[in-house]
Amino acid sequence: MNLDARRYVILAFILMVGVLYTSRLFYMQVVDDQWVLRAQEIAEKRWEITPPRGVLFDRMGKKIVSNRTYYNLMMIEAEIHDLDTAKFAKLIGWTREEVRNRFKEIVRGEGTYYNKNTGKRTANYQKIRAYPFMKELTLEEVARIAPHLDNFKGFHEEVTSMRSYPYANGANIVGYLSEVSQEEIDEDHFYKPGDNIGKAGLERFYEKELRGRKGIRYIVTSAMNNAIESYADGKYDTSALQGPPLKLGVDIQLQAYGEKLLKGKRGCIVAIEPSTGEILALVSSPSYDPNLMIGKRNISMYYPKLLLDPNTPLLPRPLASEYPPGSTFKLLNSLIALQEGVITPEFGAPCNKSVVGCHNHASAGNLADAIKHSCNPYYYAVMRRIVQQNRKKSVFADAEVGLSRWVDYMKSFGLGHTLETDITGLRPGRIPDVAFYDKWYGHHRWAFSTIRSISIGQGEVTITPLQMANVAAIIANKGWYYTPHFVKAIGANGPLPEYRKKHYSKIDTQYYDIVIEGMRRVVYEPGGTGRRALLKDIVICGKTGTVQNPHGEDHSTFIAFAPMDKPKIAIAVFIENAKGGGGLWAAPTASLMIEKYLKRKITEKEREKTIIDAVFSYMR
Amino acid sequence: MRKGDSLVAHMDWALFATYIVMLIIGMATVYSVAYNEDHPNIYEYSEKYGKQLVWLGISLFLGLMVFLIDSDIYRKFSVPIYLFTLFLLVIVLFTPKINGARAWLGIGSMGVQPAEFAKIGTALLLARFISTVNVKQQNIQTVLIANAIILMPMVLILLQPDAGTFVVFTSFLFVMYREGITYDPLILRVINRIPGIRFKSTWVGGHFIPILFVVIMLSVVTLLMSNEVLEFSFLPNVKVPGFYSVVATLLLISLLFLIFLRVVSARRERGRATLVVILGFSMAAGLSSVVNYGFQGLRSHQKDRIELFLGMKEDPNGKDYNRNRAMAAVGSGGFLGKGYREASVSSVRSNHVPESETDFIFCPFAEEWGFAGTFILVALYMFMLVRIIIIAERQRAVFNRVYAYTVAMILFYHFAINIGMNIGFAPVIGIPLPFFSYGGSSMMSFSVMMFILLKLDSQRRDVLQ
Ligand SMILES: [Zn+2]
Repeated sequence: MNLDARRYVILAFILMVGVLYTSRLFYMQVVDDQWVLRAQEIAEKRWEITPPRGVLFDRMGKKIVSNRTYYNLMMIEAEIHDLDTAKFAKLIGWTREEVRNRFKEIVRGEGTYYNKNTGKRTANYQKIRAYPFMKELTLEEVARIAPHLDNFKGFHEEVTSMRSYPYANGANIVGYLSEVSQEEIDEDHFYKPGDNIGKAGLERFYEKELRGRKGIRYIVTSAMNNAIESYADGKYDTSALQGPPLKLGVDIQLQAYGEKLLKGKRGCIVAIEPSTGEILALVSSPSYDPNLMIGKRNISMYYPKLLLDPNTPLLPRPLASEYPPGSTFKLLNSLIALQEGVITPEFGAPCNKSVVGCHNHASAGNLADAIKHSCNPYYYAVMRRIVQQNRKKSVFADAEVGLSRWVDYMKSFGLGHTLETDITGLRPGRIPDVAFYDKWYGHHRWAFSTIRSISIGQGEVTITPLQMANVAAIIANKGWYYTPHFVKAIGANGPLPEYRKKHYSKIDTQYYDIVIEGMRRVVYEPGGTGRRALLKDIVICGKTGTVQNPHGEDHSTFIAFAPMDKPKIAIAVFIENAKGGGGLWAAPTASLMIEKYLKRKITEKEREKTIIDAVFSYMR
Repeated sequence: MRKGDSLVAHMDWALFATYIVMLIIGMATVYSVAYNEDHPNIYEYSEKYGKQLVWLGISLFLGLMVFLIDSDIYRKFSVPIYLFTLFLLVIVLFTPKINGARAWLGIGSMGVQPAEFAKIGTALLLARFISTVNVKQQNIQTVLIANAIILMPMVLILLQPDAGTFVVFTSFLFVMYREGITYDPLILRVINRIPGIRFKSTWVGGHFIPILFVVIMLSVVTLLMSNEVLEFSFLPNVKVPGFYSVVATLLLISLLFLIFLRVVSARRERGRATLVVILGFSMAAGLSSVVNYGFQGLRSHQKDRIELFLGMKEDPNGKDYNRNRAMAAVGSGGFLGKGYREASVSSVRSNHVPESETDFIFCPFAEEWGFAGTFILVALYMFMLVRIIIIAERQRAVFNRVYAYTVAMILFYHFAINIGMNIGFAPVIGIPLPFFSYGGSSMMSFSVMMFILLKLDSQRRDVLQ
């Protein structure tokens, strides 16, 4: 037996381990970077500093959304000893059961960490870390609790920033904040459980701007989780940066006035500055006090109530409610007919009530008077000329051509599709096209007589109040518009680029003059339907609408702009189930809004009182 | 002083220098890991580096003493030394438990661990015994005595209990293997009872030890890697299951062997060498797959038990915790490391890796110096071990050779297990990294061990065959 050779077996054994270990070390230290991440997770902690959100100003520079200091009651489980649950529950005004559940809820809320190396899940929750036990306490609440916290080791208070709304108005514009959902956290790693995110309105649309930049401090921590030192002397640290302030086109006083006018009614007011497309007011009634939606506790208390209210205060009606436009639509049909050359301004038609109902008035001998009287049979005649232009032999094929042309014009007014306004919850409305009617009646199974109710803005046509106001602005501008928008400046920058782009209607400017003259007559000539909108020293051009509604009383609507020569405000008012036509409710409301905006005071006190005092039966 | 001259002249300076370099690196690492801003002075006795410096001084002093004593004394007095260390191992069992084991003799921080010194006693007696044995005429008595010399301290150490040192004692089996102490007398007594069989020797009896250890080592590594998936930062979509990487490494090692054997073997033996390597690889790969798939196929509670034992699983005793944190510290070192005193995971202050100044001292070293440092460290150990084996093989006296082998194998065990548990290749067994870990007992025992070796080697010519 050659024992001397055995030295090689032993040498080989040793060298094999050496090679094995060297390659393993090479793999771990140079090739595989999971250990670097793991080491960071262990020893480097990111401390995130959430800046206060950006604030919102109205067009006059009034702060309409600001931040306020609140307090969180924090707990560190490792420091809690012999907690007297009953006493503690009494102090914070909870039941013992609620206190116990809250502890479990916090652990669950932190989620778990998946170790891909072992395939095991461990809870992220750490007993030595501070977690908010109660969130968003007011100064009064914390002042009651804090002095007693000495008796409850492991609890302390911490300052936090929350929204505050100095004006209780414009809830449907600004929206509200709420805790992020798990999906939102997964989608955007900016958020951590417990963070707030804009859930509606401008808070949601401008979330990325308003949230600002989180500050991050990297620190080396010990196993006991206390900070040892700044990592790399703070080289990678970033400071928190508050989001830029947003300056709105909204006039909060006009907004508040509009909300006051619509109290006791369901309806909307949308006012736009025609020259810029800035939204001056967007009233949705009924609404709610945005201060009710601050913080988890408030939201869980009020949100279900608001959600279940039959008058749907959470619904932003001006954006999301698609109403038939009623007679206000006649303005657009007039413009299209003129542009198409199927009528002249001198076109006259008898008020033939056998075709469609009308009120008593002299037959219109020209277009402006037809607008003044809002004559239904007249517009049947106009619409027939638009739809049936005798371009095709078959009446059906002919209607197809006519309707297609009509749809093109309507689209150019921003109808039938969602406006790119800087808010969420917008609806497109509906301009029925060939495909729509083909689906409804069948191909070549319809003609003007089938679809004639669209002549007077009834039937299949729907548009949102925002779109209506935009139509008023287009007419005021005689043919163009900027997409209506809320935010006119983000910090030092102007509005978003899409609001600096002019959109043109497919109607030539001269035809607007004829229609505008008709709108003047609506308010200022005897027999006009909008006489209740009259102001003495400002010329208002408007158009009433009375929308038939199979479910109840007619809706009352009115669109207008003023002053006639240099329009400063375009407005749409829509009041649901108002007993009486557009002239009775919507027109005076619009007029009051215009006066308020242009003169900052109301001369028509009687008119104001009538509107404000009206409470419709469904609101009682 | 002719004798003194020859001592210095014949000392193995390469080994001595390696030893000193390791002491310096070790001391620097202890200083780094235990660094306290309030007492930055390395001589500060209230800090661990101050204490370690004292231990280092004592160790070098003991080494000098050892070097001045005539080397013959270790052979002559091996029985009393062995019995004395056994006595200490018995005494220590009557002391109160410290950290769950009765391992310490002495007061407070100046205590010593008899188990560390039992290694020297056992090494000397085993060397003495084997030097008296005629390898060609072994009987059952030879095997039993050799094993008893090892087993007695092992049993006492297990009673403490100190699993780490217990495992280290199996390193003596390799020494017995080198010296041809075979289990054949035992095996043949059983086998030859079967009618018709009459063996003179068995291959298994002869190579029992290395085969056993290859089997154990490969099984443990396979088990530890079975749950792992290897990823490569430069190949984002490639994921290699841990088991494949084990087989790939085996293949690599086999190829290296093949090249090595073909170079050193005589021409007519090359064919055989190739066959042996192929056979060896197939058996190793076979074993690895049996372990891997067998483990995957185990029922979950059995799997749990094994995972718990190997520290692959989170458990209340924190074996997994240590292993994971240690690996994170080592792996995060990168190529050049985070820099001296920049260990963020494994410094004593941050305390993420428990025992980072003793059993896990490789962590801060690897974190601070990266692969560049760990490569040099592994290379230093490899050099030291190879050097000791070269020294062993040049001894005329069997006693000296056996002793040198025990030193090599004990150091190798400490190296392999200690670093292995830092890189996920070995279960977490608390044993120190020689010359690095903080602690007086291991520092002294390894130094004394080393100096006895240097002394024996420098006087190797004085010994008559
Ligand atoms: Zn009429």
